[in-house]
Amino acid sequence: MKQKQIFYLTIVFWLLIFSGFILYKEYTLRTGTEILLKTEPVDPRDLFRGDYVTLNYEISTLDLDEVPAEDPYFNYNDRIYLALALEDGYGVPKKVYRNPPDDELYLKGTVKELIYNWEEDEAGIITEDPHIKELRVEYGIESYFVPEGRGREIESQQWTGEEGVDVKVVVDKYGNAVIKSLLIDGQEVEI
Amino acid sequence: MFDEDLILKWLDEGTIDHAQAEKMREDLAEYKRERRSKKQIVAFSTIGAILIGIGAILFVASNWEKIGNTVKVLLLVGSTVGIHYAGYRLKYEQQKYPRLGSALILLSALLFGASFFLIAQIYNINANNSTLVLIWILGVFPLIYGYRSAPIAGLCSLLFYLWISLLYWERPDLDKLISIWDLYLISGISIYFLGVLHGLAEKVKHAEPPFKFMGLQAALFALFVHTFELGEYRVDKIVPVIYAILGILFLAVLLPKPLRERLKGFQADASISVVAFLMAVITLTAIYSPASEKTYMILFNIIFLGLLTMLLYAGYSTENIGIINTTMFWFVLLIFARYFDFFWELLPRSLFFMLGGLVLLVISVVLERKRREFKVQFSGGEQ
Repeated sequence: MKQKQIFYLTIVFWLLIFSGFILYKEYTLRTGTEILLKTEPVDPRDLFRGDYVTLNYEISTLDLDEVPAEDPYFNYNDRIYLALALEDGYGVPKKVYRNPPDDELYLKGTVKELIYNWEEDEAGIITEDPHIKELRVEYGIESYFVPEGRGREIESQQWTGEEGVDVKVVVDKYGNAVIKSLLIDGQEVEI
Repeated sequence: MFDEDLILKWLDEGTIDHAQAEKMREDLAEYKRERRSKKQIVAFSTIGAILIGIGAILFVASNWEKIGNTVKVLLLVGSTVGIHYAGYRLKYEQQKYPRLGSALILLSALLFGASFFLIAQIYNINANNSTLVLIWILGVFPLIYGYRSAPIAGLCSLLFYLWISLLYWERPDLDKLISIWDLYLISGISIYFLGVLHGLAEKVKHAEPPFKFMGLQAALFALFVHTFELGEYRVDKIVPVIYAILGILFLAVLLPKPLRERLKGFQADASISVVAFLMAVITLTAIYSPASEKTYMILFNIIFLGLLTMLLYAGYSTENIGIINTTMFWFVLLIFARYFDFFWELLPRSLFFMLGGLVLLVISVVLERKRREFKVQFSGGEQ
């Protein structure tokens, strides 16, 4: 193959990677449903750690006693689909599925930790097989980037550690989510 | 390359006359000057490209706020394509500055990653995401062959180590399967083997040295870490199998004569295959008959020293100053580490540092002298 062809192929290949990635995310942003998710920064004393904040959503921990699961057996790294109900714009967990549910708004996630409930008798002996009590789930929206050096400023001006922190997320029909903005006490953070 | 001794020998034998000897000396001096100059150009342009690339990555990391996202993306993607085009023009079309052209192609490979990370950052993709690094590798890997680029082979190896580190961090369940040090060792041996495979075919031989170099460094680093007391050595049953497969793959290439003859660094390649087999045995015994931390520490010190000795021998017999430099570097580190281990508690601090400094000075003088001797020997008199 001639060098000129290799050059053109490389440029086309790179542009395809860039545009494919952008289109994939823009598709979610343009066709998806906007929801709010309640969150709290992982370290409440340091909201903006460096250039991004790590977000820990309420739906990051799913109590299976409160949120029913279609199938109660999970393994580490399993794909799950969390059906959400919209209440005042907030996405509230409804049910955990192993396959994408029909006609429901859902978020695609991956099980990152399993928390078991051990049944013990009076002597402290485990009497039954443990069952999964909680799931720690990642949805791919756990980082929010801010300009370098602006984190502390935003934190001191807009967040004192007591207000609620919400994230506006857009979810498409395949369960993919993209963060749109961060809200502190109902106000969008200006960046 | 022939040197002064040979010219004198041919003069004595009457093979050449004085005029011819003088002409040979002049040509030899000119050739050496030219070669030094080429090396300097490659070094400066590569370092320059890497510095600009690092600058671009830091610029992205700082998430510059004064311009909009679209402009930012266009700026970085435009620079990536523009610099790639400039590199291509200089290397292949104008052919006036081929080395600078190669450096610019390397820079465009770095900028490709920076641009991709910027786009990911705009869409708030999770930080430290291993998939992004994997896409970076996939995006630039074909350039190793398309442009016969050795620096991009080095870059891909580095990115590969970064990728497995992030993957290991993302997937805590991997910890039960394999320790991070074994993962680095396996990766290092695999990358080295990739280098061996590239050495077999003339068309891709340019990628052999960078793959071998990067693989060797990772393997030595992982083994060096193993020379410390790391706690209980736990591995899954799959780990000895992987080491054994790697060892067998090496044998499959090193044993058949037609393949072996194509390899320049047979001794060094054989040393790495020995390490793969040794690790298969050690990890197998660690599963079925685990020994104490101390035993593993001693064992890995012996293996590390053994490997360095084999590499030194390999470097000497193949006249490869790169392997000798690598060996000496890790040898000094090993001595330094063991000196700290054994004497930190035993000696008063002032004496510890003074004695340590003295030992290091002596070692560095001896090693440097030896290294120079080798270099002079290998280059036929060139310092």
